[in-house]
Amino acid sequence: MEQTKEELVAKYNEGLADPAEVKLVEKLIEKGEIELTQLRALDLLDDQLMKSEGASPSIRMNDEFYSMLESEKGKLKKGLFSFRLPEMNVFLPRFAFGAALVIVGFVVGNQLQRPTENTEVQALTAEVGELKEMMMLSMLEKESASERLKAVSLTDEMEQVSDKVTRALFQTLNYDANVNVRLAALEALVPYVGQSDVRKELIRSISHQDSPLVQVTLAELMVSIQEKKSVTELQKLIDNDSTPKDVKNKIKKSIETLI
Amino acid sequence: MEAFSDNTLMEKVRAGDLDRLGLLFERYKRPLYGFFYGMNKEQELSEDLVQNTFFRILKYRHLFRGDGDFKTWMFHIARNVSHDHFRKDKLKSKESVEKWQERLGHNENRSTEMEHMEEQQMLAIAMERLPEEKREVLLLSKYQEKKYKEIGEILGCSEGAVKVKVFRALEELKVVYKQLEKMM
Repeated sequence: MEQTKEELVAKYNEGLADPAEVKLVEKLIEKGEIELTQLRALDLLDDQLMKSEGASPSIRMNDEFYSMLESEKGKLKKGLFSFRLPEMNVFLPRFAFGAALVIVGFVVGNQLQRPTENTEVQALTAEVGELKEMMMLSMLEKESASERLKAVSLTDEMEQVSDKVTRALFQTLNYDANVNVRLAALEALVPYVGQSDVRKELIRSISHQDSPLVQVTLAELMVSIQEKKSVTELQKLIDNDSTPKDVKNKIKKSIETLI
Repeated sequence: MEAFSDNTLMEKVRAGDLDRLGLLFERYKRPLYGFFYGMNKEQELSEDLVQNTFFRILKYRHLFRGDGDFKTWMFHIARNVSHDHFRKDKLKSKESVEKWQERLGHNENRSTEMEHMEEQQMLAIAMERLPEEKREVLLLSKYQEKKYKEIGEILGCSEGAVKVKVFRALEELKVVYKQLEKMM
């Protein structure tokens, strides 16, 4: 029987099984004697299906869900603890995030009395952290500079940032069209200068900068962290004809302090 | 992890801590949307159906017993939401065929359009051509990550029967896919 089953599967995989044999394959699948994964002819299609991506839902779905949740909460709490939030469709994405934070806050508070469940707090904190990251990364894509500034400032609230976030911050520092956003990204990266990768990227970023403000701020940062390896990059700014004279002078001073 | 498992969160929702539903929504809005979108190919409608599913979860929260998997319960509700929608809108299946024909374009430019069609698009069209129950079992298999036992609970049949349904649906999908390939 074992041999027959294997032969049947092989025949099916070759596409040579007749209708009666396909019926038999079905029966054996139902009995659990053949696994779907054995059927290579279907596997490829199945793989493709599993990988296929649908369109993404819009932000409207979030808005409506959180409005509904608020209204249900309102119904539940009407009376002494009634607490109605104002109409805040515009703020709902942030509210979603806020709600998640409230949950974390609430749970963390509880955990102080019940230290045994620390791992669960960590799990939820991690989940909220991910949400925060997602929000930050999507806000960085916005056209409005103020939205991008807010995105960068979100990192202040993150206990730890992932590589994805630092990469996004460097991308912003190097390529964002707005100087204020670039400066904010630089500021957001300061807490991580202890990491050698971050320091390396900061040095590399010097040559990307064309704004005097960012150039000087970066030079000052290099001095404050005593990053001697930055001297070559800083020197390039001095050698560059397009660098303003005042900036060159400031950078020279920075280099003198560094060497 | 238990305190923040789906079931624990849903039990808290049942007990009146509605904010916890936000976390479940964040966890499952995409798979649910993917499931509905796979069924009807309409963004706005799919978003509404996700909304309806969570509305029912809230409304019937007291019915969540916690002895089964939340995700299974959620897809069970999602499936009912989807069926109720199609029941209200019986023209839907006809529309689907029309839309499929629309996608293929008219005879004269069909071949050019098909030339540019990528495999994934062909798969999507093939999926659209499947009967509703076959499309549904494949989508459940995708979004329930092939947990056939759980899918069986949703569909009210045995694990073996689910596997057969998936097998038949994939077989039919293969046939439709091949037809589309020939048209290229």
